Amino acid sequence: MESNCSSLLSAVCEVLPNPKLLLPDDTSLEKLLDWFKDLINHNDGQYIKHYQPCLLEFLHTMTKSEAVDSTVFSFTLKLTGLLASKEDSFNWLQERGVLLHMFDPDSWHEIELWKNASVRGGWLQGLWNMLQYQQAVGFFCKTGLIKLLLSLQNDESFFLSSLTNQILVHVLNLVTLPVLSSSIESDAQTRPPVSTDCRSVTAEVMSHVTRSLSSEEQAAVASGLRLLAVTVEQCRDPVKGQLWEHALEPLEVLVNLHDDSLNLSVMAVLQAAAKSPFFTNPEYKVETLIDAMLYSKNTNESLQCAALILQVDSCPDHLKKKATDVVVRPLLCVTASSTIVQDGCDSLLANQLSQKASCVPLLTQSLSSIADFVFKNSLDDVPIRSITSSVIQLLKMCIGHQPSTFLRTAASHVIGCCKIQKYSLDVLQSLADSKESVDFLQEALTVLLLYLQCPDTHATVFKKTYQAVLKWLGVSSSSPTVLETISHDLYPLLKKLVCDGRWEVRDSTLEFIMQLTAAFKGNPEYNEAFRNSGMISVLLISLSDGESYVQASAVSALGEALTDTPLCASFQEEAVTHLLSILSKDAESFPRRAVMKVFTSWLKSPLSFTGLDNHLSSVLSLGSSDFDWEVKVQTLEIVDMLMDNSLSCSRSSQGRESMKQPLHRLMGLGLFDLLLKCLFDCDRPVSQKACALLIKLRSVLRETDSSEHSDDLTLDISSCSWGEEVLQRFHRKQQPEEWSSVKNGAPDSLKKIHLCEILELLELEDMQCILSLSSDHVINSPRSVMEDILSAAQQSELNVVDCY
Amino acid sequence: MKLYCLSGHPTLPCNVLKFKSTTIMLDCGLDTSSALYFLPLPLVHSPRLSKLPGWVSKDGTVNLEKELKECAGRVFVDTQPEFCLPERELLDLSTVDVILISNYHCMMALPYITEHTGFSGTVYATEPTFQIGRLLMEELVTFMERVPKAQSATCWKNKEIQRMLPGPLKDAVDVWSWKRCYNMQEVNSALSKVQLVGYSQKVELFGAVQVTPLSSGYSLGSSNWIIQSHYEKVSYVSGSSLLTTHPQPMDQSSLKNSDVLILTGLTQIPTANPDGMLGEFCSNLAMTIRAGGNVLVPCYSSGVIYDLLECLYQFMDSANLGTTPFYFISPVANSSLEFSQIFAEWLCQNKQSKVYLPEPPFPHAELIQTNKLKHYPSIHGEFSSEFRQPCVVFTGHPSLRFGDVVHFMELWGKSSLNTIIFTEPDFSYLDALAPYQPLAMKCVYCPIDTRLNFHQVSKFLKEVQPLHVVCPEQYTQPPPSQSHRADLMLELQPPPMAYRRCSVLGLPFRRRYERIHLLPELAKSLVPSEIKPGVSVATVSAVLQSKDNKHVLQPVPKPVPVPPSKKRKRLMEEVPDLLSPKPLLSGAVPLEAFLASLHKSGITEVKVEETADGHILHLQAEDALIQLEEDATHIVCDNNEPLRTALRDLVLRFLQKL
Repeated sequence: MESNCSSLLSAVCEVLPNPKLLLPDDTSLEKLLDWFKDLINHNDGQYIKHYQPCLLEFLHTMTKSEAVDSTVFSFTLKLTGLLASKEDSFNWLQERGVLLHMFDPDSWHEIELWKNASVRGGWLQGLWNMLQYQQAVGFFCKTGLIKLLLSLQNDESFFLSSLTNQILVHVLNLVTLPVLSSSIESDAQTRPPVSTDCRSVTAEVMSHVTRSLSSEEQAAVASGLRLLAVTVEQCRDPVKGQLWEHALEPLEVLVNLHDDSLNLSVMAVLQAAAKSPFFTNPEYKVETLIDAMLYSKNTNESLQCAALILQVDSCPDHLKKKATDVVVRPLLCVTASSTIVQDGCDSLLANQLSQKASCVPLLTQSLSSIADFVFKNSLDDVPIRSITSSVIQLLKMCIGHQPSTFLRTAASHVIGCCKIQKYSLDVLQSLADSKESVDFLQEALTVLLLYLQCPDTHATVFKKTYQAVLKWLGVSSSSPTVLETISHDLYPLLKKLVCDGRWEVRDSTLEFIMQLTAAFKGNPEYNEAFRNSGMISVLLISLSDGESYVQASAVSALGEALTDTPLCASFQEEAVTHLLSILSKDAESFPRRAVMKVFTSWLKSPLSFTGLDNHLSSVLSLGSSDFDWEVKVQTLEIVDMLMDNSLSCSRSSQGRESMKQPLHRLMGLGLFDLLLKCLFDCDRPVSQKACALLIKLRSVLRETDSSEHSDDLTLDISSCSWGEEVLQRFHRKQQPEEWSSVKNGAPDSLKKIHLCEILELLELEDMQCILSLSSDHVINSPRSVMEDILSAAQQSELNVVDCY
Repeated sequence: MKLYCLSGHPTLPCNVLKFKSTTIMLDCGLDTSSALYFLPLPLVHSPRLSKLPGWVSKDGTVNLEKELKECAGRVFVDTQPEFCLPERELLDLSTVDVILISNYHCMMALPYITEHTGFSGTVYATEPTFQIGRLLMEELVTFMERVPKAQSATCWKNKEIQRMLPGPLKDAVDVWSWKRCYNMQEVNSALSKVQLVGYSQKVELFGAVQVTPLSSGYSLGSSNWIIQSHYEKVSYVSGSSLLTTHPQPMDQSSLKNSDVLILTGLTQIPTANPDGMLGEFCSNLAMTIRAGGNVLVPCYSSGVIYDLLECLYQFMDSANLGTTPFYFISPVANSSLEFSQIFAEWLCQNKQSKVYLPEPPFPHAELIQTNKLKHYPSIHGEFSSEFRQPCVVFTGHPSLRFGDVVHFMELWGKSSLNTIIFTEPDFSYLDALAPYQPLAMKCVYCPIDTRLNFHQVSKFLKEVQPLHVVCPEQYTQPPPSQSHRADLMLELQPPPMAYRRCSVLGLPFRRRYERIHLLPELAKSLVPSEIKPGVSVATVSAVLQSKDNKHVLQPVPKPVPVPPSKKRKRLMEEVPDLLSPKPLLSGAVPLEAFLASLHKSGITEVKVEETADGHILHLQAEDALIQLEEDATHIVCDNNEPLRTALRDLVLRFLQKL
């Protein structure tokens, strides 16, 4: 194939400069680039031999052609950079002036092209591709491209400006490389010393940053801040420090300006600085700046800043403590009762909490930060107790259950507010892991049950409530009070909620029942309570729910409930019948997938499922003839398990002789027929899995004594869908010349073939190899892409003829 | 303008507005919650109820065995239930000119008002209100008359005795005003006074005011009313809803810019969101049916039941209730279900458009066709042979004191498999259940009240911006059971004027203008003169004619030339003598310029004194005073008429004449 590619490529290189060419799709050129990148990076000899001359020639042509399509031109720029990333091509390109022509827009035939964002993007990509070694950097510095690059730093396209930032960081790291520490000193000695050009590049960047930060234009300031954040985070030390020194003065001005629109960008810079080693250096004033943000009059700003500080791991404790106070304050303030004088709740905060527009965002931000740090357990002296009781109070307030608080108006803003409910539930959930949680167990469960009872609870809030309930029940899962809460309060509620009109609620309820059963697995008291609660019959009724998602969840919940719970056979039998009817009748695939998963888990379970054993062959036949590939793969999962159970077991225990019976049993279940059918399935994952299983089976059979391969293992191929395929292979291998004569009908002797023979006939390894390739490997191959381009080129010529 | 408040019930209002020369009654709701003090009326003989012990005071001094019975630890009055009527002593009801009805629940006291009080006016209501109101009244009468109770109980009402009674009976107020239910004849007579109106139709009352019903979105044909004259606008907002249920949506924009807005009929359960309650209703219903129990839904035979049926129609399939029968039992069940389908123009847009399709607006028609919903006039007859369990029964009355529901309570109350689901918010469910205790049946309270809640009403008031709001006092503080919920009350600036039963409020605005028509020929004769840019004035001499509260200015008839005959003479005498009026002056006398002109006329010695209202000019040589004030000028000079005239002319030079 590769030899043909070079002729294709030269044809493509000929048509690409044509400005009238209509490309088959936007991605074709990208795919070509990816291919080149692969070849170049793997330093493939083939590339050098076959393609390089043609590509270099193409670039040379492009420098001369006057009218070009912007997409193709952008591709050319990227390709130039890619080729220039290798020194020999770099020299060739430089000698012929291609590099200078491509990277200097002033020398382009159409200067208008620069206005096109995709061309500018191509220029940036090309530049980045090229700047891989000192020589290229030297070229970059000498030609003064830095000015153009810096102008793109504030590009109107956000993608381009952020790409520019990345390149600038890359450039700064490259130009300052020689003065690096001793680890690569030896390497540095071989390099030329830092040239004045390079130094001027660094100076340009620094003055650009200073200029941007003190600019009147907000867009320029914002982009300057973004660059600063990226450089502080990713650049090496001397240059990073220098940059910070340059930027410090205008940055201080910006921090004290407290401009809302720049807040996030300033924060990003401070966060980067806080993570860097010069955080501790007082000269760099990082802490002063953070302090200024933290105690800003803008509560929102200080909250954001506090949240940011809490994310920095290396932050000193005193700062973390300050940040924690700021984060927790809105929550404590809104839930403070009138009798307690709140020193933390200043009038500014109280005022903001009294207004609906600011109350909800403030609280949600506070709550999300709390959830974050409680989850990370980042501080030891966090007032977990007061946070827990405040969150519980806030949750009560949200459903109108909490008597008057210090801020009456704030209370009315939070009533019925889903957002706050969800965030509070998140916090409550993460608080379940704290040491103090046991003391709040009853209170937390009470408020969570209130949420489950409340008819106005939103479906998404239900989901969060369930997660929290599960977490809190786990706090003390063996305590009798918890079990009592479950059987007296929770079960009746769940029974009602599986009848809810909203399918989302029914669905999350059933999911919760499943998780609850899983969480209490092996707890005999719980099992007892569950059995007596009548929940099983509730689950059985839910199997016929009208909504397929709910049905699937009911299937999973029932499966989980019966997996390690010893129940009477009649229940098992009823459940299996129900599930089989879903598998055979249900139109939607989710419940069927769930059924197969349940069967799998039952088969894995140590408890025996006598109910299922009698139905195994119908499970397999229904599963393998399903329309849904996931169901089929799941069926193969069961097959895998059955094979493992019967073959490995007998191999290990009684030696080779006993293989006959298990093989016979598997044959009886129709397992081999199923595997072969799946091997030729139209869905790739199915055939892949079947192929793997057949390989496994073959190795087992190869190991066993051939005398054991009785006639029982002979398969009748004439009645099978896969028979034809096997027959073809059989003949191709046996008597290629006779093949044509028997093509129209198999002689009688060929109706039956032994399993071992079939497995040897099928080149399973080859099949596996082909199946492992992604399904689009053919259409994405470079050959296919180039053929597409060429046929598009022909088409566009034809169209021109057609029209006139 | 005055408002007489005859009912203290916020959702069953009865107010009388005196506006201009008209007396308008706004709604006449009947508070039936007094029925809760009475024993249920069983349709089928109930051994339990018939064997109840009579009540005797502990010391044995008072024996009311015949009137009061002890049941489940409480004392109930054993006679036909009585209802609490609107106040009838506060003003003479025969002076009421019109009654405006806003919805069918708010007209149940109509026969008490229109009959036996001397009322001779007109009642205005929309057609669905009228028709469904009739059904509800008929149903009420049937419920009562089906179980006749001859004796009436009055002894317990005696103040001295009532004080000694136990429990809630002791605290019942105004028991003497309670009355038994009206009869069919009174209903018919009352309804014969109803005049039907359509939304946005303008009805003139004696030429003085115009009343207009607007859609209120609460129930079929429910309306708010605008009562307006040329310069004043009063809005009356009763049971309104912003939810998308079956009726036409609420018309809010027409209520803008009212001088006074009378706000009644907000939701009775402000903490329960109707959607949540509907969900609760469905899940409890499904849970009971799945467990093999029956569901009893005590409800009115019109209104929320349509929405419940529609909701269940959608819910049934997803909850596997396909085969469970629904029964709707009411003397007017059939009419109610059918009426709802024919009032197309009163339905919401979505349902209206279905009228043009071959499917009925409400899905309950399909439920009936497919035999899932069956309706019967009563438990007797067909129903008893077709009745199949488990089932869902919708029946009245929600007070559980009369109607077919009493029978089902006796029948199903003992089994914990069954559930009673309360959806009507008018009665306390615990009080309603009191005579049936002990009860094994599960009770679920999901009151569905689609009327405006406080959040919606404060938004609505912000939108329509009335100058003053009048409302029942219950709306000015949080409900007693939830005193911490500051969000469950009206907080307005200026604060609303609150009323209670028997309040008489003077509404806080004064009528300042009246519209008068000028006839064209009179207008033609006017000579306007501009006194400042854009403002011209003219004097008018005319005859004012007032008839039917309309005022017209007509030209003064010209004096008829000398009568040729005697016949004309009488006419001449009636024509008033026309005196041409003196010109009117306007403008101000500028001090400096006036002094200059005095000087020009030879008056030089002028001493100017400043006063609170203007200036006093002493003309010392002439011994005269000129008082220049904002609205008057006086010239004081003794017996010097030429000087006065000269000075007057000088003053007049600075003024304009009309």
